[in-house]
Amino acid sequence: MQILLAAILALPLVGAVAALLPAPPGLKGRSPEQAVLRHGVTVTGAVLVLAVALAAGFDRHHPGRMQATTDVGWIPALGIRLHLGVDGVSLPLLVLTALLTFLCALHAYARTPEGPSPKAYVALLLLLEGGTLASFAVLDLVLFFLAFETVLTPMYFLIARWGGAERERAAWRFILYTVLGSVVMLLGLLLIGVKGGTFDMVALATDNGSGLSHSTQLIAALAIGTGLAVKAPLWPLHSWLPDAHTAAPTTGSVLLAGVLLKMGTYGFVRIVLPITPDGAHTFAPYLAAFAAVGIVYGSLYCLALALPSPGRHPSTKRSALPLSFGAGGDLKRLIAYSSIGHMGFVLLGIATLTPTGVNAALFANIAHGLITGLLFFLVGAVKDRYGSSDLDSLSGHTGAALYGRAPRLGGLLAFGAVASLGLPGLAGFWGEMLAMFASFRPADGLSRPAYLVFMTLAGLGTLLTAGYLLIVVRRVCMGGNGERQVPHPLPALPDLRRYEFAAFSPLVVLTVLAGLWPAALLGLSDPAVKQLLGGGI
Amino acid sequence: MHLVYPAVLAALLFCTGLYGVLARRNAILVLMSVELMLNAVNLNLVAFDVWLRDKLHAGQALTLFVIAIAAAEIGIGLAIVLLVYRARGTADVDRLRDLREDAPAEAREDAPVEAEKKAEAAA
Amino acid sequence: MTTTTAAVLVPLLPFLGAVATLLTGRRAPGFVRPLAVLPTLAAAALAVLVACRQGGGQPLDAARRLTPTGSVPIDLALHLDGFAVLVAVLVTVVASCVQLYSTAYLREDPRYPSYAALVSLFTAAMLLVVYSGDLMVLLVGWEVMGVCSYFLVGHYWETEAARSASLKAFLVTKLGDVPFLFGLFLLASDAGTFRITGVLHTVATGSLSHPTLTALLLLAGVAGKSAQFPLHTWLPDAMAGPTPVSALIHAATMVAAGVYFTARLLPVFTASTAALLVLAVMAAVTMLGSALAALAQDDIKRVLAYSTVGQLGYMTGALAVGDRGAAVFHLLTHGAFKALLFLGAGVVIHAAGTNSLAAMARMRGLARRVPDACWTMTVALLALAAIPPFSGFFSKEAVLGAAEHAARGEAPGIPGAAGWTVLLAGLVTALLTAAYCARLWLMCFCGKDPDAAQHGRESAAMTGVLWVLLIPTIALGLAAWQLPDWFDGRSLAPTLPTSLLSTGCALAGGLVVYGAWRRTQALAARVPLGAVAADPEAAPAVSEEEAIATHLAAYGSIAGAQDPADPGRLLLGPLHRHAATGFHLDALYAALFVRPVGAAARLVRFLDREVVETYVRGAGTAPGWLGAAVRRAQTGNVQTYLSVLFAGSVVLAVAAVLVASGA
Repeated sequence: MQILLAAILALPLVGAVAALLPAPPGLKGRSPEQAVLRHGVTVTGAVLVLAVALAAGFDRHHPGRMQATTDVGWIPALGIRLHLGVDGVSLPLLVLTALLTFLCALHAYARTPEGPSPKAYVALLLLLEGGTLASFAVLDLVLFFLAFETVLTPMYFLIARWGGAERERAAWRFILYTVLGSVVMLLGLLLIGVKGGTFDMVALATDNGSGLSHSTQLIAALAIGTGLAVKAPLWPLHSWLPDAHTAAPTTGSVLLAGVLLKMGTYGFVRIVLPITPDGAHTFAPYLAAFAAVGIVYGSLYCLALALPSPGRHPSTKRSALPLSFGAGGDLKRLIAYSSIGHMGFVLLGIATLTPTGVNAALFANIAHGLITGLLFFLVGAVKDRYGSSDLDSLSGHTGAALYGRAPRLGGLLAFGAVASLGLPGLAGFWGEMLAMFASFRPADGLSRPAYLVFMTLAGLGTLLTAGYLLIVVRRVCMGGNGERQVPHPLPALPDLRRYEFAAFSPLVVLTVLAGLWPAALLGLSDPAVKQLLGGGI
Repeated sequence: MHLVYPAVLAALLFCTGLYGVLARRNAILVLMSVELMLNAVNLNLVAFDVWLRDKLHAGQALTLFVIAIAAAEIGIGLAIVLLVYRARGTADVDRLRDLREDAPAEAREDAPVEAEKKAEAAA
Repeated sequence: MTTTTAAVLVPLLPFLGAVATLLTGRRAPGFVRPLAVLPTLAAAALAVLVACRQGGGQPLDAARRLTPTGSVPIDLALHLDGFAVLVAVLVTVVASCVQLYSTAYLREDPRYPSYAALVSLFTAAMLLVVYSGDLMVLLVGWEVMGVCSYFLVGHYWETEAARSASLKAFLVTKLGDVPFLFGLFLLASDAGTFRITGVLHTVATGSLSHPTLTALLLLAGVAGKSAQFPLHTWLPDAMAGPTPVSALIHAATMVAAGVYFTARLLPVFTASTAALLVLAVMAAVTMLGSALAALAQDDIKRVLAYSTVGQLGYMTGALAVGDRGAAVFHLLTHGAFKALLFLGAGVVIHAAGTNSLAAMARMRGLARRVPDACWTMTVALLALAAIPPFSGFFSKEAVLGAAEHAARGEAPGIPGAAGWTVLLAGLVTALLTAAYCARLWLMCFCGKDPDAAQHGRESAAMTGVLWVLLIPTIALGLAAWQLPDWFDGRSLAPTLPTSLLSTGCALAGGLVVYGAWRRTQALAARVPLGAVAADPEAAPAVSEEEAIATHLAAYGSIAGAQDPADPGRLLLGPLHRHAATGFHLDALYAALFVRPVGAAARLVRFLDREVVETYVRGAGTAPGWLGAAVRRAQTGNVQTYLSVLFAGSVVLAVAAVLVASGA
C-alpha cells in the first residue's frame, strides 16, 4: 500500500521528465507528437490503475484511519517530514484527479491541442497531475504548500501557451491572484508550525488546537483561509476564475474546474477545521455568508450571460425570455461562473462545521468535478463544431437545434445541465441538499437565524441555477420555427466521435452512480469527517 | 608597526578611490578607482589580520580572494569598456545613459492593454 | 416472490426499461417498442399482485440504509398501505395505456426511442414516489418526474410554444420544490428521521415544533406539483407537449403526486388549523378559477388541462376537510377518465387536423369519422361532469359529502369554515364543470358544415386503449363501497342531499350551455375560422405539432380564439377576455418574479464588471503607479546611483553606531 501511494505520486513526475526526452527506439510511433501524447496517455492511465488499486485495497471499515502511510525525515533541521497517507477524505479526490487527468490525456491524444509542441504539453499535464495528487496525499504542512504551488506553474503555461483569446492576460491574472493567496497561506502555515512545534498535520489535528493559543488560531485560520478561499474560489475573490476558464484550452478548463478548485476546499477540511478549530468557529459565519452570496451572485451572473443580449435579435420580441436583461455570453464563461455558485455550496457546507455539512462539501466536491468536467468537455465539443462558444452567435434567432443536428451531443449537454442543476438521483443533488440541511442545523454556538437566511439564499440559488441552465439548453439544444423538416434545414453536424465518447462516458456513468448510490462516497467520508471534527485522525 | 599607519593609509586610499568612482568621467579611470578601493580594503584586511594575530589568517586568505576577483573583474570591465568605446566612440560614463527612464518612453507605453499587463505584473 | 420483492420490481422494471431503451435505442430500433411497453405492462401486473397481497391490511414496511449523512440517515424504504398499492395500480395501468397509444401516435418519429425512455423513467419516478417510505427518496422521484415532464413537454422543441412551456413547467414546479425541501428539513429535524412512519409517529405525539410553518412550506411544493393556485400556470402551457404525455402527466403521474403526498402526510397538515384553511381557500380558488378559464379556452387540450386543475382542486378540498379517502378515490377515478379524455382528444386532433374547438365547430361529421373516440369521450365527459351513474359522480360525491360533514362540524379537528368553503366552491364548480364539458362536446362533435377533411383511420392501438380505459370510467364508482376497507374506513358512499344538489347543478350547467349554443350556432357559418394541418396522412404527432405551431398565427393567441359562435363567450361576457388568459397570472408573475430577477442579473453583471473588477484592477494599478514614481530616479548615470548608494550606507552606518552606543 505504501509503495502504491508513493508510486502514484512519483510516476507523474518521472513521466513528466521522460516526456521531455526523445522517445526510445521501440516507441517512436507515427510521429514524435503522437509518441509523446501516447506517452501521456500511458502514464496517466498507469496512475489511474494504481489509484483504483489503492482504492480497492483501502480498508473500508476504517476510513477514518490514515492508511498507506509513509513517514520519513526529509529536512530534519526544520522538522519537515515526507509524511504521506490517505483516508476517506482524500481517497475520492485522489481517484477523481487520476481519472480526470487520464481523460484529458486521452482527449489530447485524439485531438492534438493547438499550440506549441505537445512534448511540453504532456510534461506540464503530468507535472500538474503530480502536484495535485501530492497535495491530496501529503500530511505535512510545508509539503502541502509545496504541492499546492507546484500546480500553479504548469497551469499558467497551459493557459498562456495553449489557450484561446486573451490567454496571456488571463494566465497572468491567474498566477498573480493565486500566488498572492498562497503567500498569505504560507504565513499562516508557518505560524502554525512555529507555535505548534511541528508541521505534521496528523499530530496537529490530534491536538485539535489545544497546543495553539486562541489568537494564534484566529490569525492562522484567517491567513490560511484567505489563501484557500482564493483557490476555492470564494466570492468576492473569484475574478481570476472566469478569465482563466474562458482562455484555457478544454483540458485546462476541465482540470482547473475538476481538480484545482478542490484543493482549496480540501485544505479547509484538512487544515483549518481540525488544526485551528477556534479560528474556524469564529470565521465560519463570515465564510458562510460569503458562500451564500456567492451562490446567488454566480447564478445571477450566469443568468445574465444566458439570456440573449438586447438588440441582437429583434425578431424574437415575442419570446418569453426577458430580452433586455441579457448579456449574450460565452458558454465557457458561463460554466465558470456556475462553478462559483457550486463551490459556494461546498464552502457553505464546510462553514456549518457539522459532520453533515463537511460530508456535503466533500460529496459536492466530487460531484462538481465530474459534472463540470463533463460540461467543459461538452462545450469544447460544441466549440469544435460551431467554431464559437458565444451563445448569441450559436443560437441565432430561435436556437442552435443541437437535438436535431447532433442528437447524442445535444442529449449529453442536456444531461450535463440537468445534473448540474442538482437533479435528485444524479450526483449534484446530494451535496447541495446536505449542505442546505446542514445549514438548517449548524454546529452549536453558531447563529441559527443567520444560517437559516443562508439556507434560503442557497435555495434561491438552486432555483436560479435551474433557470439559467435550462435557458442554455433551450438556446443550444432546441430551436426551429415549428416545422419539422426532414432533412433538417440546418446542415447536420458530426455527432459524438469515438474519442469524445470515451472521454465523456466515464463521467456520465459516475455521475449517475454517485447519484443513485451516494453511500459509496458518504460512507467513506462520514467516519473520517467525524474524527476530523472531533479531534484526531 | 602601529595599526594606525596602515589604517590611515587605507582610509586615504579608499577616499581617493571613492572620489574617483563618483567624480571621474572616463570609464577606465572609474575602474582604476575601484581598484584603489579594493586595495584599501586589502590593506585593512592584512593589517587587522596581523594586529589580531588570527590563527587561521582569515584576513590574508580573504585578501588573496579579493585580488583574484579584482583581477577577473578588471579584465571583464576593461573588455566591456573597450567594446563600448569601439561601438560608440566614447568611454564617458555621463554619456552612456541608455538605461535612463525618461518621459517619452512612458508615453510610448500608453496602449491600455500593455499598461494594464505591466500593472498586474507589478502587483 | 415475496410482496416486498414484487414491490421493489414495480418501479425498477420501468427504470431498467428506460435505461435499456436509452442505451440501445439508436442501434436497434426494433427493440424500442417492446422495451417501452413490456416492462410497464409487467410492472402493472406486479402492482396488481402487490395490491392483492396487501389487500388494504396492515401497512407493509421494509427498509435498507441508503447512505449515512453525518446526522439524519437516508433509507431506501418501502411503505405499502392501501393508498400506495391502489395508486400504483392506477399509475401502471395508465402508463401502459399511454405507452401502447404512443407506439401508434408517434410512429415513424425518429425521436421515439428517447421519448419512450423518458415516459418509462417518468413512470418509474412516480412509482418511487408512491411506494417510498423515506421522504428524501420520495423527493428523488418527485424531482425526476419534474425533469421528465420538462423533457417530454419539450418534445416538439421546434415550436416556440413547447420551448417556453417546458422551461416554465420546470421552473414553476421548482419554485414550489425549494420550500418543499425546507419543509422536509423541518420534519426531519423534528422527527430525527426521514422515514414517513417516524414522521407520522412524531406528529401523533404532538412534538412538531412548527406545525403551521412546516405544513405551509410543504404546501408550496404540493401546489407546484399538483398545479394548485397560485402555481398552476405551468399546466395549461404544458399542453404544448404530445397528447399521450399530457394524458400521463394529468391522469396518473406528475399532478397526482402532490395530492398523494398530502394524503400520505395528512396528519402533518391537520395538526395545524391555519394550514387546513389555507388549503381549503387554495382549493376553492383553484376550482372556481380553473372552471371559468376552461370555459374560455379554444384549444381542446387546454380545456382539459384546466379541468384537471379544477378536479385536483376537489382533491385538495377533500384533504382540507381531512378526508384522504375521498381525495384518493377521486384521484383514482379522475385518473381513469382524464386519461381517456386526453387520449381521445389525441384521436380527435388527428382526425380534425387542428386542436382548435372553433375550427372543429365548423366541421360536420367529426363524430362519424372517429366513432370510438366520440363514444368513449362522451362517457368520460359525463363522468367528468359527475352525472350518475359514472365513476366521477361517486368520487365527487365522496368529496362533497366529506365537506358537508366538516361544515356541520362533525369532523374533529377540522375547522367548519374549511368545510363550507370547499362545499360551496365544489357546488358552483360542479355547475361550471358540466358547462364546459357540454361546450367541449357540442363544439367538438356537433359541428356544422363543411364536411371534415378525410384523415387516415386511427390504428387499433390507439382506439383499443380508449375502450380499455372506458371500463374503469364507467365502473370504478362502484368501488365506493369497497374502498373504505383499503383506506381509513370512512364511508365514501354518496349521501342524498349533496347528490341531489350537485347533480342538479351539473344538469343546470349543461342545459344553460346547450341553450347558449343553440343561440350562437347561427353565427358559426357567418364567421369562417380555422386552420387545418396540411398533411393528413402523416403520423398523429406530426399534425399535432403543426397545429400547436400554427395556433398563435391563426387565432392570435395560444389560448383563446376570436370566435363569436362560442357559447362560452356568450356566457362569460366581459369575463371571457380575462378567463382566456388565465386571469393574467402570467403577466403578474412576469412582473413579480421574472423582471426583478432579470434586473438583479443585470445588477450583478454591473457589480462584477465595475465593483469587484475595480479592486482587482486597483490592486494592479497602485503598485504600477508606485513603480512609475520610482522609475523617475533612473537617470542612467551610474555615478548618481553610486552616490546615492554611498549616502545610504553612511546613513545606515551612523544609525548602526547610534543604536550600538545606545543613544
